[in-house]
Amino acid sequence: MRPCGVFDKTYEKDIAIVRTWQHWTILVISIIFLFFLPFIFSYHLVSLVNQIFINVIVVLGLQIVMGYCGQISFGQPAFVAIGAYTSAILTTKFGFSFWLALPISGIMAGIVGMIGGAPSLRIKGFYLAMSTIATFFVTIWVIVHLKITGGNTGITPPPPQIGNFSFDSDERMYYIIMLVMLGMTYFARNLMRSRVGRAFVAIRDNDLAAEVMGVNLYYYKLLAFFISCFYAGIAGSLLGHWYMAITPEQFSLMHALIYVGAIIVGGMGSIPGVFFGVTFLQLLDELVLFGGPKLAETFPWIGSAPAASLGVTAFGLVLIVFLIFEPRGLAHSWETFKASYRLYPFKS
Amino acid sequence: MTNFVQFFLSGLLVGGIYSLVAVIIVLVYKATRVVSIAHGQLLTFGALFFWFFIGGLGLPLWISFLLAILLSGCGGFLVERLTMRPLIGQPLFAAFLMTFSIFMFLNGILQLYLQGQSRAFPPFLPKGVIKFEGVSVAQDQIISFITSVVFFLVLTLFFKYTKVGLGMRATAEHHTLAQSAGVRVRTIFTIVWILSAMGACVAGMAAANIMDIHYPLPFIGIKGLIVAILGGLESIGGAFLAGLILGVFENISAGYLDPLVGGGVMEVAAYVMLLFILLVKPYGLFGLKRIERI
Repeated sequence: MRPCGVFDKTYEKDIAIVRTWQHWTILVISIIFLFFLPFIFSYHLVSLVNQIFINVIVVLGLQIVMGYCGQISFGQPAFVAIGAYTSAILTTKFGFSFWLALPISGIMAGIVGMIGGAPSLRIKGFYLAMSTIATFFVTIWVIVHLKITGGNTGITPPPPQIGNFSFDSDERMYYIIMLVMLGMTYFARNLMRSRVGRAFVAIRDNDLAAEVMGVNLYYYKLLAFFISCFYAGIAGSLLGHWYMAITPEQFSLMHALIYVGAIIVGGMGSIPGVFFGVTFLQLLDELVLFGGPKLAETFPWIGSAPAASLGVTAFGLVLIVFLIFEPRGLAHSWETFKASYRLYPFKS
Repeated sequence: MTNFVQFFLSGLLVGGIYSLVAVIIVLVYKATRVVSIAHGQLLTFGALFFWFFIGGLGLPLWISFLLAILLSGCGGFLVERLTMRPLIGQPLFAAFLMTFSIFMFLNGILQLYLQGQSRAFPPFLPKGVIKFEGVSVAQDQIISFITSVVFFLVLTLFFKYTKVGLGMRATAEHHTLAQSAGVRVRTIFTIVWILSAMGACVAGMAAANIMDIHYPLPFIGIKGLIVAILGGLESIGGAFLAGLILGVFENISAGYLDPLVGGGVMEVAAYVMLLFILLVKPYGLFGLKRIERI
């Protein structure tokens, strides 16, 4: 819904992402803010923001394959793991630089993801969801049992370097993560406005009809899985070089549920929704982390170490509430809010 | 050969429990078109209720059994009324995610309650071991297995011959048509959830008898889902057979491959099997192939 008196007089204006000068101001100010964020925020907050940005990259990938292309995938953590391990092995065992290992790990995860997504050519719906869970467990099992990955002890990738400058702290790593995240968001946003993105949406809405209209199902489904897992791989590589430690426990089925949950909370098929969903869940986690001990003081029967279990409970409860009361997610709430203030004093 | 028979038998006995869980999931799917993962938690809580009555309060076996089943039924009713009822008319995928959310929510509560410890049933079944030509089988496992089979038979007969069962099958075929034929679809949904929660309670008792009430117990629900999909989601008999097949396959592959790769085959055998079978038969072993149109 556009406010009264806003017309698109040229084609360029019609397809623009950033539409008005107000948008431009907000965009420029927020990017400047993002660049100065480590100077303003405390150490803890910066690492929180890093975590949010990495999750945003993963969930952007999931949004492409699930929200836009309609192929349910619970296997995303496996591809994050593949990205993390590829990049860690390349840098520690083969002496690659991080800057080369980053794209390679994305491509590696993408290729494995294409194999993992291959069942989508024949099956769909719940069958596909279960097969992605199966892919996830098999991948993690292989990682644990391979020699080169260090098994359960994991692997310790070095921090990225330019010359002698080493990105070894949260604040320094923040800039790499932030820039990659911005680039990936821009790519995802534009991809969905292209021929490829429209093909994805057609497959989601009715794959049979899409095929009849000339969309090559096999090609586009595999492409969706490739792009989605490429995102996961990039995020995994960043995660590994930021933590400087990877173990198989960092990639559990719980993470798959958190990624899917972020899409539910944020809203299916919406790029801003990814940001809303991930931020919401991460803040919920922080809230439980801070509030858990206080809650345990007031209600002693909860027990001494409730943070993890309270987090899971709160997460489940939030998902239930969202599915019942706002199934289209925070992105939809945001849209209705925008429409209501643009049309004020009229009701939309 | 003795090894093989041993693996086969232990697999069959575990498979009986998988079958029961899978049959429950198929029951819910057939009536409501919802694939439920929440039953993994429902069965854990069923087992927990039973443990509470027999271990905590020290009630006799039959009373605790009935009370646990009754309480599980109430749980199923609550789940249906509070979470699944508002989703009628929404896409099925939302309901699927809802069962996931219930799984997470109950998992958190379970963790809060267990505090990292496991709960074991007091020995209420005969613990003896039957030995025959070098093959040994625990008696309580046999009893669990027989319970599952009996429950499966009761369910099948219920579906075939009672009025409610017929209503469920009609609902499974088409909601609107069933409604116009005088079937109360919403009541059917409620009954299905209550029944399935009760069945889950039985499965939970059988499973907890083997592996104690601990964090891994709810993941029997995921195993049950795999079995249901192997069997084809549509067929109760298929789910039962697939459960036995999976149990046997898991035990045999773990028995023979574990020494070669250094353990842990048990964890992935089910998933590998699922991937292969879905590639060959996309609708499971006994599923109906749906013909689609635009």
